[in-house]
Amino acid sequence: MALILKTTRFIETQIDTFLDILSDSATTFEMAMEDYLNNRIEQFETRLAQIRENEHRADDLRVSIERFLYERTLIPENRGDVLAILENTDEVIDNIKDSLVQFSIEMPKIPESLNDLWMQTTKASSNAVEQLSFAVRSFFRDLAAVNNYIHKVYFFEREADHIGERLRREIFNLDIELSQKSQLRFFAMHIEKISDYAQVVCDRLSIYAIKRQL
Amino acid sequence: MIFIYLLSGLFLGWSLGANDTGNIFGAAVETRMLKYKTAALIASIFIFLGAVFEGSGPSGTLGRLGSVDALGGAFTVALAAALTITAIVRTGIPVSTSQTIVGAIIGWNYFSGRLTDFQNLLTIVSSWVIAFVLSGIIAALLFYLISPVINKGKIHLLEQDVYVRLGLIIIGAFGAFSLGANNIANVVGVFVPVTPFKDINLGSFTLSGIQQLYILGAISIIVGIYTYSHKVMRTVGKDIFHLSPVTALIAVTAEAIVLFIFASRGLQNLLLSIGLPPIPLVPVSSTQVIVGAVVGIGLVKGGKNIRYNILGKVSLAWIAAPVIAFFFAFIALFIVQNVFEQTVCQKTIYTFNRTTISQIEKEGLDVNHLSSVNGHKYYRELEIYKELKAEKYFKRSEISKIIRIAEVYPLKVDINLLRDKGLVNRFSKEQWEALFKLEGREFKHQWQLKEALAKDPSWQRRKEITERDKLHNQDLEEQFNLLFRTLYFPPA
Repeated sequence: MALILKTTRFIETQIDTFLDILSDSATTFEMAMEDYLNNRIEQFETRLAQIRENEHRADDLRVSIERFLYERTLIPENRGDVLAILENTDEVIDNIKDSLVQFSIEMPKIPESLNDLWMQTTKASSNAVEQLSFAVRSFFRDLAAVNNYIHKVYFFEREADHIGERLRREIFNLDIELSQKSQLRFFAMHIEKISDYAQVVCDRLSIYAIKRQL
Repeated sequence: MIFIYLLSGLFLGWSLGANDTGNIFGAAVETRMLKYKTAALIASIFIFLGAVFEGSGPSGTLGRLGSVDALGGAFTVALAAALTITAIVRTGIPVSTSQTIVGAIIGWNYFSGRLTDFQNLLTIVSSWVIAFVLSGIIAALLFYLISPVINKGKIHLLEQDVYVRLGLIIIGAFGAFSLGANNIANVVGVFVPVTPFKDINLGSFTLSGIQQLYILGAISIIVGIYTYSHKVMRTVGKDIFHLSPVTALIAVTAEAIVLFIFASRGLQNLLLSIGLPPIPLVPVSSTQVIVGAVVGIGLVKGGKNIRYNILGKVSLAWIAAPVIAFFFAFIALFIVQNVFEQTVCQKTIYTFNRTTISQIEKEGLDVNHLSSVNGHKYYRELEIYKELKAEKYFKRSEISKIIRIAEVYPLKVDINLLRDKGLVNRFSKEQWEALFKLEGREFKHQWQLKEALAKDPSWQRRKEITERDKLHNQDLEEQFNLLFRTLYFPPA
């Protein structure tokens, strides 16, 4: 039996590694944001480099998993669903990277009074991604638990929306240039969007989980 | 010439291979869990094994329903069944070879004036309904057992895929074996009483004439699998039962179990050994059995997705298929006999003289009510039946017994002939010794040879106290039938 499951176990490991990268990226994003707000720009750039590396690895893994699933005609009934999950999850990592790259390019000046709300929005988005990694993992291993994690993702997405809105109101209440307000709003929304992407993946995941149930 | 006669049976085999394999591997191939080539290979090997080694049970049941005694008749019966299938399939009703062949055999009985064994017919017809319902129940139970494992278990999706794939291969092989064992009777069952093949002794193993017939039938099934089943598998998998791989596995398991239950002599013996009543070995329809399984699963899931019209179609097939086959067979037999001048049934004479009447009395039947037939000669069983029925005294089974006694069936014991036909391993040493004692003797009726042989314990029937005794008597009856077919000595 071990011999028959050899290929399967190999792909299982690859999927797990892919989801580890997703989870790591969420944590790294949170830490990078903290570095940025605390003016540790060098450390921020190191984190960005880490995320770039993660994104590359995730891309390679996704392609490799897709190739294996097709070449060995594995899970024919769920293959399309699994590939969609992996591709959408990969987009979440891309979004995290894009967001940080944008910070690195534009280096927006964030008034210190916004730090707390900024970090809260970041944490909510990062938690949504973290829970997404659990949800996807359960889709493969523990179908009954998927809905619990999906529920958590929705919770953190709403939280990110809610705090993000407060953050944007706060931005426009500040006595700063309109151009700066506009720029900060763009970054705040970028952070919120990460949780939105996590939610989109979950929307699909909940349908796929129903399809997988007997 | 013999092979031309066998052609209609082989066509039925081809149709079985082309159509029924889809019921086992259709969903697996359509969901791409199995490659078509793998499915075809597994189906071929296991249908062949099932047909050759387990096929005798259901064939025996068909044989008891009506023993077609001329090759031309067997050819026409199989042809009528094949024509019926072709006609009904066009209406989209899941037609069964079993149902058409039964209708066609009864058509032969009626044409040749033979009496149909109602008890046997009832067993067969009730088995079709039972098989359908049983398959649904088994599938529902399996669904109950497996769904928590899939929904709440912690098996990785990819590992589940491997297990389901393995399951589809193993259960598919079991299903193919059961299909071969259960359905070979439909393909060559009517040819069993008139098999032209001699037994072949291969050391300790004997390949009987009937097994050779099964091999030929199995080969025609394999040809059906390789020439046409791909298309049917895709249609079955896509249009009729769009199942997920796991549901397909459940449905096929239920189907395989039901086919096996109605085919296995081994299982019958096991049930007997633990004191349970045996299940009749009857060819059932694999299409209807899998529809039953799908309906069973559908009901467990809440009954929303069941297409109730398909249930109506199945019920319609239970009636329409045998009735249409009956008429087709009757017309075809008439044409083959009168236009092509082929023998479709042996001309049998039934006499009621002092010998037969005293034998009837010996069997415990009241001969005072035989006045209407006494001293007469008949050529059709149905005529005797009508005469005796008018007496309003004998039951149908008793009339059947009287007819068997009155039947003139000339026999001559010829040991060399038995040896030439390769029947050496078919009888025990004691049975051979009893046969030696009768060498050269002639008998006018089958029961006379039976009586002569029954002087030796090895040829004696047992009192039917246990089911095992019943089985012994059934086997003995088959040995007698083999003797009768071989030693038949028609007057010049």
